[in-house]
Amino acid sequence: MLQILIQGLLLSGLYALIAMGFTLIFSIGRVLNLAYGAYLMVGGYMYFWVSQTLGMPKLLGVAVAAVLGVLMGFLKYRLIVKTLKGDHVAVEISTLILAVVIQAGIVLVFGDSSKILLPIVPGVINVAGASVTYNILIATLISWAILLGLFAFVRLTHTGRAMQAVSMDAKGAAISGIDPDRINLITWGISGALGAIGGVFFASYTQLSPSMWVAPLIISVAVVIVGGIGSILGTLVVAHIIGFLEVIVVATLAPELRGVFTMLLIIGVLVTRPQGLFGREEL
Amino acid sequence: MGLRWFHFALWGGLIVGMLLLPQVVSNGTLRTMIFANYLAIFAISWDVLSGRTGYVSFGHPFLIGIGAYTTAILTKRFDVPVEISIPVAVLFTMIAGLLVLLPALRIRGSYFALVTLAFMELLYQLVQVIRPDLTGGTRGMSGIQTLTRGAANGYYLSTTLMLTIAVSMWLLMKTRLGTALSAIGMNEESVRGSGLSTTRLKAFAFLTSAMIAGLGGAFYVHYLGSLAPRALFDINFLFTIIVAALLGGTSTIIGPMIGAFFMTFLLEYLRPVLPGAERYFVYGAIALLLYMYQPKGLVELVRRGFKSLNKGRTA
Amino acid sequence: MMKTALLSGTCIALMASAAGAEIKVGFIGSLSSDTGLSTLRGAEVAIEELNANGGVMGQQITLVSADTGQDPTEGVRAYEYLAETEEVDFIISGSIDDVSLGWLPRMQEYRIPTLDTWTSYIGIIDMVVEDPESMAPYFMNIASDEALATLYINFGADVLKEKMGWDSVVILAEDTAFGEAITGLVTEALAPVAGIEVKDIITYDVATVDFAPIFSRAQDTGADFIYQVSSVNSQVVSSQYVKLQVPMAMTGVNVSALGMEYWEDTGGAGGGISTLSPIPSVGFKLDPASQAFVDTYQAKYDSRPLLPHFNGFNAYHGLKQAMAAAEEAGGFDNVEGWADAMKKQDLVLEMDGQLWLRYAFWGDDEVEPVTGRTYPHNIRFDLSEPFDDAAPSMVVVQWYEDGTAAVVYPEKYATGEFTLPSWVKQ
Repeated sequence: MLQILIQGLLLSGLYALIAMGFTLIFSIGRVLNLAYGAYLMVGGYMYFWVSQTLGMPKLLGVAVAAVLGVLMGFLKYRLIVKTLKGDHVAVEISTLILAVVIQAGIVLVFGDSSKILLPIVPGVINVAGASVTYNILIATLISWAILLGLFAFVRLTHTGRAMQAVSMDAKGAAISGIDPDRINLITWGISGALGAIGGVFFASYTQLSPSMWVAPLIISVAVVIVGGIGSILGTLVVAHIIGFLEVIVVATLAPELRGVFTMLLIIGVLVTRPQGLFGREEL
Repeated sequence: MGLRWFHFALWGGLIVGMLLLPQVVSNGTLRTMIFANYLAIFAISWDVLSGRTGYVSFGHPFLIGIGAYTTAILTKRFDVPVEISIPVAVLFTMIAGLLVLLPALRIRGSYFALVTLAFMELLYQLVQVIRPDLTGGTRGMSGIQTLTRGAANGYYLSTTLMLTIAVSMWLLMKTRLGTALSAIGMNEESVRGSGLSTTRLKAFAFLTSAMIAGLGGAFYVHYLGSLAPRALFDINFLFTIIVAALLGGTSTIIGPMIGAFFMTFLLEYLRPVLPGAERYFVYGAIALLLYMYQPKGLVELVRRGFKSLNKGRTA
Repeated sequence: MMKTALLSGTCIALMASAAGAEIKVGFIGSLSSDTGLSTLRGAEVAIEELNANGGVMGQQITLVSADTGQDPTEGVRAYEYLAETEEVDFIISGSIDDVSLGWLPRMQEYRIPTLDTWTSYIGIIDMVVEDPESMAPYFMNIASDEALATLYINFGADVLKEKMGWDSVVILAEDTAFGEAITGLVTEALAPVAGIEVKDIITYDVATVDFAPIFSRAQDTGADFIYQVSSVNSQVVSSQYVKLQVPMAMTGVNVSALGMEYWEDTGGAGGGISTLSPIPSVGFKLDPASQAFVDTYQAKYDSRPLLPHFNGFNAYHGLKQAMAAAEEAGGFDNVEGWADAMKKQDLVLEMDGQLWLRYAFWGDDEVEPVTGRTYPHNIRFDLSEPFDDAAPSMVVVQWYEDGTAAVVYPEKYATGEFTLPSWVKQ
C-alpha cells in the first residue's frame, strides 16, 4: 500500500513535469502543439550528447537542453504559428508534420538504436519496501520545484499576470496594453524549456529512441483532456490521477493493460464531461 | 447541380488515361501507383469527414484498421470467402464510425482531434492484448488471401476501386447534401439555424467516411497479404493520410487524389537518391514547406495559375 | 499478334543477355539500425571477396539496397522495388519479425530466392512445413526461436538449478508475440526439465515508463530469480533493474544486449545482465574463417556496429552459400533447382580440430531429436552436448560490471563465468 503511494507519487511528479509545457501552450495560445513530444526528444538527446558523449558536466547538459528547448519554442512560434496566423487546425497539422521530420532527423544523426542515460544522480534508497532511485526522487522534487516556480511566476510577476490575461481573453488583453505577440513568444519559449528538461528526466527514466516522442505526447494529451483547459494546479492534480491509475493497474491488476486504462479514462471523460474535470479555469 | 460537360470530359479523360497506363509504364511504377491509389482512397475518406465538416480526425487508422482486421480475421481464421468478409468488414467499420460520431455530438475542434487519437491508440493496444490467437498479436498476420497477382491486375483493381469511389463522392458532393456538409465546416450554428439537423448530416458524413475507409482498408489488406499493428495504427501512417489530403487540397475530390500520388511518388523517387534515413527527413521537410506555403493545397496553386493565365489573356 | 509476341520475345532475350553480365543481389532491411547494417555489411564483404575471385559463373555481383525503416508496409514496398524496378536475382534480408511477415506474400508471388538472417520466428518455418511449394525460395540461417528457448531450458537445469541452487522463478515477459512464444516454451519446460517452479508470470506493456511497481511485484512472489523476456525497448527493463539495484538475480532474453554497442548505449548501466543470444555473439571465440571476416569488416568500416551482430556472420557465410548453390543450379531462375542446391550446402567451421560452427540446413523430413519436429529451410543446430553435429542454437552471454562480455554457456563455448550483480546477495 505504502509502496503504491510512493511509486505513484514519483511517477505522477514526472508526468506533471512532462505535461506542463503542453498545457501551457494550450491554455494561452489555444493550440495543440503536436510537436511537443519532439522537445522532449531533442532535450533528451542533447543532454546525452553533451554529458555522455562529450563527457561535460551534467548540469551543463541540462542547461544546453533547456536553451535549445527555448530556441525551438521561439522558432516554432515565429515560423509556424505566426506564419499560419493562428489557424488552429493548420498549426496542429504542421506541428504533427514537424514532429515526424524531427524524428527522421534524430534517426539521421543518432541512428535507430535506443540509448540509455546514466542516472543524473546515482544511488538508491529503500523506503518502506520500495526501492527508490535518487534519480527519480530528484526528478520528482525538481518537477515540484519547477511547477511551484511557474505558479509563482504566473501569479506574482507582471509578465505572468499578462500571460493570465491573454489566456482569458487575448483581445481584451491587447486593448489594455499587453502585447499578445510578446506574451505568446515567451510562453512558447517557456514551454520549450519545460519540454526539454522534462525530456531529460523522462529519458533518464526510460530510454532515448527516435520514437520516444509519442508516449509523452499521449500523456500530455491525457492530462489536457481529463483536466480541461489547463491550469497549473489542475495539471498537477490530473497528472496524479493518471500516474496513480497507472501504478495501481500495474501493481494490482494487469501490467499489460497499463495504457488501455489511460485511453479508456480519456474517452470516458470526453464523452461524459467534454469540458474536462476542472472545466475552463484561469491559469 | 453545377455539373458541366467539361467536368465529365475531364473525369472521362482521367479514367481512360489511368486504365491505359499499364501499357506505357513499368511494373515497378505500377506497384507504386497501387499504393498511391489506396492512399488516395484513405485521403478521400478522411476528407469527407474532416475536410468537409471541419471535424479533424487524428484517428483515421482506427477506421481503416477495423476494416482491415475484420476481413483478415474472417478470411484467415474462419475461411470466410472474401465476397462475404469484405461487406462485413465495411459494415463493422461503419458501426465504428458511429462510435467516433458519439464524441462529435458534444465536442469539436482540438478536443475532437484528441479523442480520435485516443481511439487509435486504444485499438492499437487492444489488438495486441485481446485474443492474439485471432489478431496475430504484435506480429500481425501474414499469408492473408490476396485478390490479385501481378502488378497490372493489382493496379486495375485498385484503380477501379479508387475511381469508383472518387466519382461517386464527386457526384454526391455536387448535391445539396454535399453543400450542407461543407456548410457545417464553415458554420455549424447557421446550418442548425436554417432548420437542418446537423446531427443527421454529421452522421451521414461519418458513415460515408467510414464506409470508404472500410472498403479501402479491406481491399488494401487483401492486396498486401499481411498486416501489422505497428504499421497500421501508426502516427506516420496517419501523417501520410492527412498530409495527402491537405497537400492536395481539402473539400475537393481531386485534391486528395493529387496529394496521395504526389506523396507516394515523392517517397519512391527519393529511394535511389537517398536510400537511408535521409529519405524520410527530406520527404517530411518538403511536405512541411509545401503545406506552410499553401495550406489550401496543390489544387489551389493550380487554380491560381489558371486564373493568372486567364487574366493575362483578357488583358 | 504472332509477330509482336515474337518480337517482344527477342527483345526480352536481348535485354536478358545485356543485363545478364552481372548478378544482382538485393538487400532488404533497415539502413539505420545495427541489425540491418550487420546484414548489409556482411553481404558487402562476401560480394567483394567473390568478385575479387572472378565472380560467380563468370559474372560480377552487384548489390542494391532497399530501406525498410523497420516498418512492415515500407518492407512490402522495398521488396517490390527490388523485384520489379531493380529486378534482382537474389535477396538477402536483415528484417525483423513483422517486416519479414509483411513481405513474405510478395516473395511467394515473385519467387525470388531469399535468405533471412535475423528473424528467428518459428511461425515462418511452420509456413514452410505447411506450404513447401510456395515457400521454396525461402531460407533462414539463424536457429528458430523455438530452438533457442529449448536449449535455454538446459541452461536452467545445468547452471541456474545445479550451480546456483535456484528452485523457483518469476517470469517477466513483454506483451508481444515474441514474449508470448518464448514465455510459453519456457513455462512449459522449466518445471519438468529443469525442476524450477514458475511462481508467477508478469506480462508488461512495452511502453511502460516505470518498472518499479513491476519489480516490487516480482520480489513479492518470493521467487529465487527473475527470468526476463524482452525484445522491444529491452534496455529500459535492464537499465532500470540496474538503477534500482533490484536485490534479485535476473537473466533471460534481452535483445538489446546482443551487440558490442550495448555498453556504450547504456552508458555502462548494463553490467550484471545476462542474456540468451544467437551465435556468434559478443564474447564468442571465433573460428579462423569467421575471424578473418571480422578483420576485413573492421578494416573496412569504422562506424557502428563495430563488431557485426550474429546476422552479419550469417549474411557473410549465407550469401556465399547462395552463390555456390546458384553455380550448381545454373543460376537463380530455376528456383526449385536452386533451393535443392541450397539445401546441400554444408560449411563446417572448425576450431582447434573440433566442430565450432556449421552452416547447413535441416532436411525436409529430418526430425530434430530433442523437440521431435522438423525444421525445413532452417539452419542446422544442435540442442545437446557435445555439439558435434552442429553449433548450439544459442549461447548465454554475460555482461560484467567492467564492460566486458563473455559466453558462459554451454560449457564447450564458455569464455567466462555466470555471475550475479554485486548488489544481489547470494
